[in-house]
Amino acid sequence: MIDHPTPDALEQFILGQLSTTETREIAFHLLNGCSHCQQATSTLWEPTDLFEDTAVFEDVVDVAEEELEIEDGYDAVLDRVFETLAATEADFTAQRLQAQGLLAELTQVPAERQHLLVTNSRRFRSRALCDLLVEESHETGFQDPRRAVELSRLAVLLVDLLTPKECGGEDSYESLRARVWAQLGNAHRIHSDLEEAETALNVAEELLATGGVGLFDRARVLALLASLRRAQEQFADALQLFDRVVLIYKKLGQWNLLGRTLLQKSLVCGEAGDIESEMTLLRRALDFIDPQNDPRLFLAARHNLIHALNESGRSREAFALLFHSRPLYLKMGDRMNLLKLRWVEGLVAAGLHRLDQAEAAFKEVREAYAGIGLDYDAALASLDLAGVYVAQGRATDLLRVSEETLAIFQSRHTHRAALAAVLALCSAARQEQVGDGLVRKVSEFLKRARNNPNLQFAPNS
Amino acid sequence: MSALDQPQVEASLENLLRDVQPRLKVLFARYRIPPQDTEDIVQQALLALIYQRQEVRDPAAWMMGTIRNKCLLYWREQRRKLYDAVDAAVLEFMAEPKAPDQEETDLRRDLSHAIEQLPERCRSLLALRYRQGYEPPELAERMGYSPSSINKITTRCLAALTRHLVATGLLCEDNRS
Repeated sequence: MIDHPTPDALEQFILGQLSTTETREIAFHLLNGCSHCQQATSTLWEPTDLFEDTAVFEDVVDVAEEELEIEDGYDAVLDRVFETLAATEADFTAQRLQAQGLLAELTQVPAERQHLLVTNSRRFRSRALCDLLVEESHETGFQDPRRAVELSRLAVLLVDLLTPKECGGEDSYESLRARVWAQLGNAHRIHSDLEEAETALNVAEELLATGGVGLFDRARVLALLASLRRAQEQFADALQLFDRVVLIYKKLGQWNLLGRTLLQKSLVCGEAGDIESEMTLLRRALDFIDPQNDPRLFLAARHNLIHALNESGRSREAFALLFHSRPLYLKMGDRMNLLKLRWVEGLVAAGLHRLDQAEAAFKEVREAYAGIGLDYDAALASLDLAGVYVAQGRATDLLRVSEETLAIFQSRHTHRAALAAVLALCSAARQEQVGDGLVRKVSEFLKRARNNPNLQFAPNS
Repeated sequence: MSALDQPQVEASLENLLRDVQPRLKVLFARYRIPPQDTEDIVQQALLALIYQRQEVRDPAAWMMGTIRNKCLLYWREQRRKLYDAVDAAVLEFMAEPKAPDQEETDLRRDLSHAIEQLPERCRSLLALRYRQGYEPPELAERMGYSPSSINKITTRCLAALTRHLVATGLLCEDNRS
């Protein structure tokens, strides 16, 4: 007589809850073709199959809640875990404070010594320090890209010295590693080293495949990878990656981050020349971003929408939105936002053919940026001014503003491709052959080439 | 963070957890996670929340989403054990040294037949695995997959094969001993 596994054993087999030996025995039994047990297992797959599709699961939760048998054991476990929480949090706070001291100590010594300290001194082997290095690198980002790279390199060095135990377990360790490598990649991207950025982000992406990286860090890695694809002008890939990030933030109910991601995605559409999708995404982003909690982000989305409306020829709509958004700019009150306001006022005025107003705004913006040493922005404002002169047929003013821009770029050793673009404009201005198309082309190119000096300017393309 | 802030933060996290506790129980029950296995899941999620607290805007939603995902991963891991067991059993069947020639031929034919029922992209992968005994890294190289994706693809193919074999068995009626 054949010994069949019990129904319980078969269920546990399908749920993967048996020991290796028991699983193996039942697997052999089934592979040998026991139709009785095959029949018995056929209905057992369903519950866990359902789990694979979270959308299906979401629907089921509310419907059958009262029918659910909840085991008593859960309360005991949850109480036990919650009791340890205060201690865990206090420990975290203490480690974080200590790490701040270590970071201050590190930043006072040269880079080589920093590496020696992290490698040789046990004091520096702290997960909290690694977290701080990543955060500091992220914060430093655009202000000091070289330092951001150094900080994230240090974080990479440190994370390899840490153990999973020191980081709160295997999954926590994998998440930290992915975050560290992704930040290194991002710092390289901002530093315009796209090759190094690709290498570092590839490591982060490989770590995602291990399955241990948490959803939140997964989203962060994918978002940084998407930003790299955007910089590489691989727009389709960037959009796909942002879609994955959106899905994760939806699962985690992080609506503000979802709004931020939609805003980032809209930038990709804008750069790919799809202004309609850009505006749709910006409107969706504005639905998710809370203006009270994230006023800067909200204003950034509004600003971009005004810009996109104007670009697409809907200057009246842009003007109306600008009217309603002006208090937000003023509320921020910082110089950069006020300059952004003045600039977009000039652009909308130009769109409405109020060229005198536009000229006054662009001149003001140009002077202000030049005054605080932001020459690249000053040059971009100059090009908008050049557009006004083209529209008014003021060839002499056009030549003067083109040559002033060229002089700024030459004195600041701006990268060659940007210089070539401005040179092409000057050359055409000297021959009085500048049309609005060329000014726009040079302006668009300078915006794209700002963080990607590898781009080449092709005036006739 | 000042010392004055600390108790307030702890209290709010405590409140948050008490608030989500009933929902967590429903979630675990729904996913049929045995109580003894929930401790690790909750610990991991809480630790991650503490580390990422500054960036998380809605901690309750974050907790539920994170734990739901961990429940899914839990079952994927459990299921992987099952797939590995079936994989090992098939490899053992195929390597059986005492099988007479005819029986071995039949066994291979039955396995080929089972593999043919699977989706296109699993067929060549599993054929290489069971006929040539290739391990995942060799499969990746041979089939042009990246080392990071081959495990996921292999698991999916083993999952499909397991479902098929558990439902129909490997041996046809006339080959059963």
